[in-house]
Amino acid sequence: MKLLSSYIKEMKIAARGYYFYIEIFFAILLLIILLVAVKENPISKETEFLFYDMPAEMVDAYYSASIAKGDVKAVDDTILEAKAVSFDVTDENTKEVTSYAFGDESYQFKTFEMINTKTGQLTETVYIADSEEAMIHMSYLEKKIGATMSLDANGGILYKYFTQGFETTRLKNLLYILHNESGAALKMTMDNQSVRKLGTIETLNARENMVPVFIVFMGSLMGFFIVMAYIFLDKSEGVIRAFAVTPSSVWKYLLSKTLVIMTTVAISSSVITIPVMGIQPNYLLFYLLLLISTFSFASLGLLIASFFDSISKAFGALYTIMIILMLPAFSYFLPSFDPLWLRFFPTYPLLQSFKEIIMVNTDVGYVLANSGIFLAGGLIVFLLANLRFKKTLTV
Amino acid sequence: MISVKNLSHSYSNDEKLAVNNISFEVTKGETFGFLGPSGAGKSTTQGILTGLLKQQRGEVIVAGYNTMKVQNERFNKIGVSFEQSNVYSKLTAKENLEFYAKLFDVPTRDPEELIRLVGLEGKEKVRAGEFSKGMKHRLTFARSMINNPELWFLDEPTTGLDPTIAATIKDIIKEQAAQGTTTFLTTHNMYIADELCDRVAFIIDGVIKLIDTPRNLKLQYGQKLIDIEYINNGKVIKETLKTIDDHDRKRIGEIVNNYDIQTMHSKEATLEEIFIQVTGRGLV
Ligand SMILES: Nc1ncnc2c1ncn2[C@@H]1O[C@H](COP(=O)(O)OP(=O)(O)OP(=O)(O)O)[C@@H](O)[C@H]1O
Ligand SMILES: [Mg+2]
Repeated sequence: MKLLSSYIKEMKIAARGYYFYIEIFFAILLLIILLVAVKENPISKETEFLFYDMPAEMVDAYYSASIAKGDVKAVDDTILEAKAVSFDVTDENTKEVTSYAFGDESYQFKTFEMINTKTGQLTETVYIADSEEAMIHMSYLEKKIGATMSLDANGGILYKYFTQGFETTRLKNLLYILHNESGAALKMTMDNQSVRKLGTIETLNARENMVPVFIVFMGSLMGFFIVMAYIFLDKSEGVIRAFAVTPSSVWKYLLSKTLVIMTTVAISSSVITIPVMGIQPNYLLFYLLLLISTFSFASLGLLIASFFDSISKAFGALYTIMIILMLPAFSYFLPSFDPLWLRFFPTYPLLQSFKEIIMVNTDVGYVLANSGIFLAGGLIVFLLANLRFKKTLTV
Repeated sequence: MISVKNLSHSYSNDEKLAVNNISFEVTKGETFGFLGPSGAGKSTTQGILTGLLKQQRGEVIVAGYNTMKVQNERFNKIGVSFEQSNVYSKLTAKENLEFYAKLFDVPTRDPEELIRLVGLEGKEKVRAGEFSKGMKHRLTFARSMINNPELWFLDEPTTGLDPTIAATIKDIIKEQAAQGTTTFLTTHNMYIADELCDRVAFIIDGVIKLIDTPRNLKLQYGQKLIDIEYINNGKVIKETLKTIDDHDRKRIGEIVNNYDIQTMHSKEATLEEIFIQVTGRGLV
């Protein structure tokens, strides 16, 4: 009861202060940035794997002509390693299924770069395989479009596309129309159901990929910061001392603050996540981890706040911790920067866990394990904060 | 109600004592005044008695509870009004009291009645942040009564209030005393102490110099005083002299014989003057 009335009082105070609105405002701002400024699939260099089922001279002649025109550039051959994998390929017209099973392979590809003649920019890299198997194996692993080009009886070119199954119907139709004049277009699709069973990771588009970073930023960092702001407001008003001479315990006071932060973060994170992700995430796991992690970081804020008597004195500690918490975001966006020590920063597993949650095939065990660790850590920090506050009520 | 034995406190945890080996008792229903100049150790003592400061040395029993043990339920019997008002500025006067009332396990008083009692009627729905200093102080004072405390700690209850409101507050304290509330009143205002307290303790530099009733103190130290104004080298000089002190009596004779007397009258010693006599220091 005392906890509930403390919580209601804290929510009233929050609703009459700035911080609550700043948090919600930021969430809306980030949502707008995500929806307006971040394209779902950013324009980037495309990759294509091709196999020409025709005499090599014909292929050479075609590329030589293109190189002469200036829109293709020959580069060194590429050697690519391909992991062992097995999957099915379904012919979309006949529904005929072909099964493939590959071992670990290493393939050599003739490589060409397509240039946009107007801008001079590299638009696409084309890998030409020696065999259809090599092309299928690589395009499957790299999740790129693959194609086999062969000659029909009249000397026209036949195209057989290998798509990933997640391309839009429009793109598929486009492929049909594109090569309609050159005779029958044969079309095959890899069976993505079997892909999932094999445990291959489903990827997020660029917009979705931003969501975990924003959630961690709005939850952990803002929770950490705002709880400190609330404590310092109370310290400047001296109300903690008034609370200390009531039969209610300090931990209820601290927990009511934390609950307010958890409520605020649940709202702000929903503002970002639901419009971008729709029904894809496992929301049960999402809110579990969100609330637990916010609790832990808010507890950290309480603990830090107990060492200072005003926000200006706490700034040094506050900035240092905020930067430490933000560092793992660099590794998140730059996979090449992933030193081992960074994995010990608490926000590192948090980012990975939120990414897991919003992906289709969530690793529930990993998320639950991290939730457990955060809960245990958060409780310890909360108890420490409680001890500190009991000792420093007069500050 | 309160029993303090050999209590000492050092903020720096060394030999520098803010409170130095003090002992006193406050009986049930008594209004006990704790008097001393700024920095004497009054708030420090109240801090230990209310559990806000960690007790270091000595033995303290408050409302039947040993303060060394953390027993939050003892606050059901205790009310505390702070020297610096501390209310939620974002909450209205009424919300402040309503919320506070919910923190107790005992029947509480009606917030609106308390607001009226301290002269803040009509301000129930105003946020405390918009209150003047004196209004916040009154709200803090009203809040300390919400749980009908048996033991009431008041730190400078009338400081900074205008005389009419100070009189209202004094009346409330008297009324509570009549109903049997035990009050521990901290102040450096001797008139308040004189008017309200059954007994007073003089504290200075962390040491209690004496404890007695205002009446006894006046009987003991309250010899008649003579205020005398005379002209010396064209300047008006004022002296206060005791009628029972040999040196002072000689001095009165000297003045009467040698100077031009302007005014001269006798009066009773005030508690403030007694304090100066006992401690050798003023109350500011
Ligand atoms: N938080 C603190 N840290 C260190 N020293 C303190 C602290 N609070 C008070 N003191 C010191 O302890 C002594 C007693 O202070 P205290 O506040 O108890 O005086 P007081 O009698 O209440 O004075 P006032 O009438 O000004 O309120 C003073 O010397 C003061 O400097
Ligand atoms: Mg004081």
